[in-house]
Amino acid sequence: MLYIFMAFVAGWLIVLSMIFNSNLAKRIGIFQSTLINYTVGLFVSGLLAIIMNNRINIGLIEFNSIPWWVYLGGFVGVAIVSASNYIIPKIPVIYTTLLVYVGQLTFGLTLDYWSGLPVSRNRLIGGVLIVLGLLYNFRIDQINTGEAEYDSSI
Amino acid sequence: MFKFGAVLTGGLTAIMVTLNGILAGNLGDFIALIIIHIVGLVTAGAIILIKKKKFVFKKDIPFYYFTGGAIGVFLVLFNNITFNAIGVSLTLALGLLGQSVAAIIIDNFGLIGIKATRFDKRKIVGFGIIFAGIVFMIIGS
Repeated sequence: MLYIFMAFVAGWLIVLSMIFNSNLAKRIGIFQSTLINYTVGLFVSGLLAIIMNNRINIGLIEFNSIPWWVYLGGFVGVAIVSASNYIIPKIPVIYTTLLVYVGQLTFGLTLDYWSGLPVSRNRLIGGVLIVLGLLYNFRIDQINTGEAEYDSSI
Repeated sequence: MFKFGAVLTGGLTAIMVTLNGILAGNLGDFIALIIIHIVGLVTAGAIILIKKKKFVFKKDIPFYYFTGGAIGVFLVLFNNITFNAIGVSLTLALGLLGQSVAAIIIDNFGLIGIKATRFDKRKIVGFGIIFAGIVFMIIGS
């Protein structure tokens, strides 16, 4: 239950960080704001590690024990920022949530399967229902705005 | 073509959450946060160097504009913890629901500089379907 709530709160954090980041990006450009983002983030991460008294003295063996590509998460994060910056202005905005979520769901289920979580029937039904719910609200937005205006709540 | 790009961006998000989650599962949450941010910082720096972007300095930027990075740290931390507990697809599905609820509240009341847009009550049906989908996903996990 705690994890479910935590994942839900992560959604709020996405919205807040997106609003702040896009405001900053409008002022100083997308890549510079990303750089500042990660600088602030690195500082806060270091601070958290000190406060939580995390074991910093991990040996080389532990770093080497995982495949190199596991370290690429930060790289993929910047790739997502760049790709969104390029793609999102080119498609009608109310499509965005829907299309991005379809990608998250298909890749998510595949990756879960790959890391040992089976794709059960209920999980598939759940995923399809979420897409249907998004589609329903997407239609309401289309009717309301004639695809002209953006409403981030779908 | 660009629509396919949007789907791919979602796919990349799932890949990122998986990679970061595996890293945190192996090295610990806080070391993982530091590594993830160093790699991101180096990547963003390299792009700026390659594209030969000029650095812009502006003085009148409000302080809170810079807090996105700090919020991002907790986002990555929460994603890493939940990835290792409930997997990537449920993490992202719940994130989507949280995102929608936050967006409705911010839009409806016009918070943090966003223009107020009244919530269309007909959308409750859509959110009901999304919520049912999440319940199915939780049962199926």
